[in-house]
Amino acid sequence: MKCAGDIDVRDVEEAYINIDPIQAGGRLTPGAMKALIAYCDGYSVCDNCRKPNRLDYIQKPPIDRFHRELAEFVGMDAARVVPGARRGFQAVADTYVEKGDPVLITALSHYTEVLAIEARGGVPREIPRSPGNIITPDAAADKIEAVVRETGKTPPLLFLDHVDYSYGNLHPAREIARVAHQYDIPVLLNGAYTVGVMPVDGKDLGVDFVVGSGHKSMAAPAPSGVLAARSERASEVFRTTTTRTDVTSRTFGIKEVEMMGCTLMGVTLVAMMASFPAVKERVGTWDAELGNTGLVVDALRRISGTVIVSQYPRQHTLTRVDTTQSFDRVAAAHRKKGFFFTSALKSRGIAGIIPGATRVWKFNCYGITRAQAEYVAESFLAIARENGIPVS
Amino acid sequence: MFLLTDIRAILRKTAPHHRLGPGERKEVEILLSNLEKQVDLLKRELLA
Repeated sequence: MKCAGDIDVRDVEEAYINIDPIQAGGRLTPGAMKALIAYCDGYSVCDNCRKPNRLDYIQKPPIDRFHRELAEFVGMDAARVVPGARRGFQAVADTYVEKGDPVLITALSHYTEVLAIEARGGVPREIPRSPGNIITPDAAADKIEAVVRETGKTPPLLFLDHVDYSYGNLHPAREIARVAHQYDIPVLLNGAYTVGVMPVDGKDLGVDFVVGSGHKSMAAPAPSGVLAARSERASEVFRTTTTRTDVTSRTFGIKEVEMMGCTLMGVTLVAMMASFPAVKERVGTWDAELGNTGLVVDALRRISGTVIVSQYPRQHTLTRVDTTQSFDRVAAAHRKKGFFFTSALKSRGIAGIIPGATRVWKFNCYGITRAQAEYVAESFLAIARENGIPVS
Repeated sequence: MFLLTDIRAILRKTAPHHRLGPGERKEVEILLSNLEKQVDLLKRELLA
């Protein structure tokens, strides 16, 4: 079925249990789907935009209140919605990074942090990961010392992924922020995988900025996200325009330079707002989500030769698995090669694993029901048994 | 459209087999009944 022209209807969420590693937390709530229908037009949230003509001042729909609640939700003083977490990284990098500055990231940082630094002419310097794929405070301290020694400059910023995209590991943000602050380095917490699915309190963690992703973890359409800051940093990153043009002497009110005026307009924002009550509530059930993930992870561990590469027990639902010694051995002799595995999953109504992957792959069970988690766990075991892999 | 969205949400929650529990079954019955009423209303208002 087509929904328009040659665009197929997307029914993966209705026809399958979708365990795609990056899609799980971005599935819309029913409220968001309804808001999306009602506010489908371009400038739909701007019907009641009045002076001072800025997105975060609009009262109907209650965008102003949403901004305040968003800041409170992540334990910070001010928040703005942005078109994706990456635009949050960019706004902060634009504010603090000068050409040639060394900027701290980690060996598990998302590539968009690197691009944000590169766009400013900064030089990314990686804090190495431990053998268990964790970023430690000691490694952060060592790297800061090395960079200062080598360049004679204190890095103007440290990007830290709260939970990384690669292993889904939870890193000790509070301790790393403490180390960075000893050198007066502001810390940006990349909460793309945490804000909206698990409790995140920026002040409690001691960070200067919290960035979240709407489409990754806040049940919102893409591109959407949040950039939140402490008050002392908010005046810097959310600074307003001071320009007066030369010919027409125009000024531009209280538009914020890094936000390029207004940010999310229409469906992205209103759907993010519509999901927000459910998002606030669901972070309180994080333990149940970990329980569902644990169920699936424990099933995978029973399959001989399968290794959970992410930290164990799991502290996040995004999980990396190595099946080189289990499903990949089957693939070597199977007529479908590596596709046998995802094909077997698909025939059971499970989608989201990269087609053909049988070596190292990731999944995310966030947001599925207990019954669905049990079904996924049983399906992995059944596929192993059917293909002669011992199951304990 | 909103009623269809609620039905869509149930399809998601019960994927892939869509075996409905007693509560879900009742919920779908109410949704479909309301949907029928809305379709009748549209017919009356748009096609009368």
